[in-house]
Amino acid sequence: MELYKFLPKTNCKKCGKPTCMAFALDLLQGKVKIDDCPPLLEPKYKKQYDTLKELLGAEEGQKKELKIDVDDDLCDGCGICVTVCPVNARYCPPTLSGKAPDYPPEKHQLFQVKGGKCELLNLEYCRRLEAQGRERECRVCETYCPRKAIKIDYV
Amino acid sequence: MKRIPCTGCSLLCDDIIVRSDGLFIDEVIGACLKGKERFDQLSSSNRILSPMIKKNGVLEKCSWEDALEKTSEIIKSSSKPLLYGFSNVSCEAQLKGIELAKVVDGFIDSNSSICQGKVLNIAKNTGITLTTITEIINKADLIVLWGANAAESIPRLLNKILFSRGKFRMTGREIRTLIIIDPVKVASFNVMGVRDIALQIQPNKDLELIRVLKEECCVADSISSEGVAGLDRDDLKRLILNLSEAENGVIFIGQGVLRPQSESNLVGELLELVQMINTKQEKGRISLIMMGGHFNMAGFDHVALSTCGKNGGLQFDKHQLIDTDDNIVSKIDNEDFGCSIIVGTDPISHLPLSLSQKLATKPIIVVDNKKSATTSIADIVLPSAITGIEVPGTAYRLDQVPIELKTILNPPSNIPSDEELLTKIIDKINKS
Amino acid sequence: MEMILNTMRMVDHDQAREHSLGDEKSLEEHLPIGILNPKDFKKLNLTRSLHLTVSNKNGQIIVGIKEDEGVPQGTILMPVSIWANQLTSFEKNEIIYKNITVNVEASRDPITSFNQIINSIKSN
Repeated sequence: MELYKFLPKTNCKKCGKPTCMAFALDLLQGKVKIDDCPPLLEPKYKKQYDTLKELLGAEEGQKKELKIDVDDDLCDGCGICVTVCPVNARYCPPTLSGKAPDYPPEKHQLFQVKGGKCELLNLEYCRRLEAQGRERECRVCETYCPRKAIKIDYV
Repeated sequence: MKRIPCTGCSLLCDDIIVRSDGLFIDEVIGACLKGKERFDQLSSSNRILSPMIKKNGVLEKCSWEDALEKTSEIIKSSSKPLLYGFSNVSCEAQLKGIELAKVVDGFIDSNSSICQGKVLNIAKNTGITLTTITEIINKADLIVLWGANAAESIPRLLNKILFSRGKFRMTGREIRTLIIIDPVKVASFNVMGVRDIALQIQPNKDLELIRVLKEECCVADSISSEGVAGLDRDDLKRLILNLSEAENGVIFIGQGVLRPQSESNLVGELLELVQMINTKQEKGRISLIMMGGHFNMAGFDHVALSTCGKNGGLQFDKHQLIDTDDNIVSKIDNEDFGCSIIVGTDPISHLPLSLSQKLATKPIIVVDNKKSATTSIADIVLPSAITGIEVPGTAYRLDQVPIELKTILNPPSNIPSDEELLTKIIDKINKS
Repeated sequence: MEMILNTMRMVDHDQAREHSLGDEKSLEEHLPIGILNPKDFKKLNLTRSLHLTVSNKNGQIIVGIKEDEGVPQGTILMPVSIWANQLTSFEKNEIIYKNITVNVEASRDPITSFNQIINSIKSN
């Protein structure tokens, strides 16, 4: 609700939403843009407009590029990222020891463990770029890495 | 390209893909760092590729005939040989090891007797509920790591038991609860979710915790308000609730629980607690899994049980098995051995200094594929092929399930497998 | 300062990993290490360039230092190796790897070398 703080909070309905809160929610999910709020474009809200732009910069993903960093020194190839990634899971066939990615990797597959280290295959299918709504906020690989080797970043 | 079981640790992952051109290994896919290092041993600079005999205090390369001649000489001239190790070799080689002990009237023991074998010994009186990894993947909803740092000792274990999407646990991580009881905030704590319980217990207080849990199991609301062993009362209540309501719970016990306690036995109390919960349970059960390190640590107990009817240390006298309570520690401590034959392990690195010094006073024969602290003080070093990569065999996984090991490359021409090598030694002793 | 020593295996320190990598040097780099809570680190007046003398009635070793928030105060962690085993002992046929009382002090002496320990085992 960081975003709501910087909206005009007047509930003017000029954007077509019933309340500023509803607008903030849609903003978070990427359904609307900041410019859709007419009062925000007025000079007196200039400061808030800039702050919002900064906050949303990461989520919009338009200007900044998604990057998933895997630290080779920390990674021990446990393969949790491979198992837990929802994109990987969708295309993984069940094997003797649970669902596991096959070889050669599926074209949608994000992670693969090779030579004892996690390897990033193709980022374009990551949920942070592909999915809609809340699924865009996916951070499972980063959250569950036991050695904190994965970092999701925007550059 | 071949799918083979990995022999890096006792989990024996069977979903590892290895690509090879017949001479070298090109790629290992799916294996963790530990598994990959095992495959790297093939071409490592530490690999021993010819037998060695110590001359004037330095190990020198020699021919197989000389090495085997000297080996049988040492074994024959010394009474009561001590055979130790057998946790990094196949079950077939373990069987040969027992045969050798029988031929030479020796004492044979494995790493298991200072690790998971202790649990099996205690379980003889109390009973134990075991489970398998496959069952955990498909059914488990509660995972307890007690004194075990799975994320570092068996890297892929958490991946399989916690994150895998099984048949009845389709969502994987979300449906399973993780509880970690450990004095140190180990790497496994990092995979904690919101519903999970992290219990950072005060060092050496596990026994108090078990006693409180047992009491709570009989009489509800008996935990004192200040908690126990530095743990919060609410956390303890959630712990006992989770344990008693789990449909398929598993407790992984590591060295932290297996450690000896002077006044009472921790493992016995834990087994009793599990039994109490299971009797009270209506819809499910709690099982145990012991975390061994070496890939065939569980195997020796099974081989010894099936051939001699006894696990742990086996003492032979006049080619007959005799009853003994000794294990590797007491044998070395009492200096009740004439020479030692170490197979596929590194006792100098994992035994206390005083025992290492006593071990070093008698001749040491080492059968291994790589240099270690033990080979540096050995009198004879006999190289062997790497089980699971160069030679096939059977090995028991940490959940006591036998897994068929496969091969991907041929061993170097003059290097026999552990099994062949032990057979050669037996033949040599029988002939002379 | 009196502390409790716990030995443990970590993926970076594992003997198998070290041995496939190489020689005594890589062992000496990774295994003689004591992991401490930052508060204990301060209490002992340590700096990164100093070493630790860890001793008890069984023996004495000099090891490197690492800080870790996860280690409780009053505990020192060491990977299972010939270094840590200078301090371990046994009781009733069982080896004690955990909860060993040790005395910990800062030291300027070099880390105990692999050969030094091997020689002490040999000569006995």
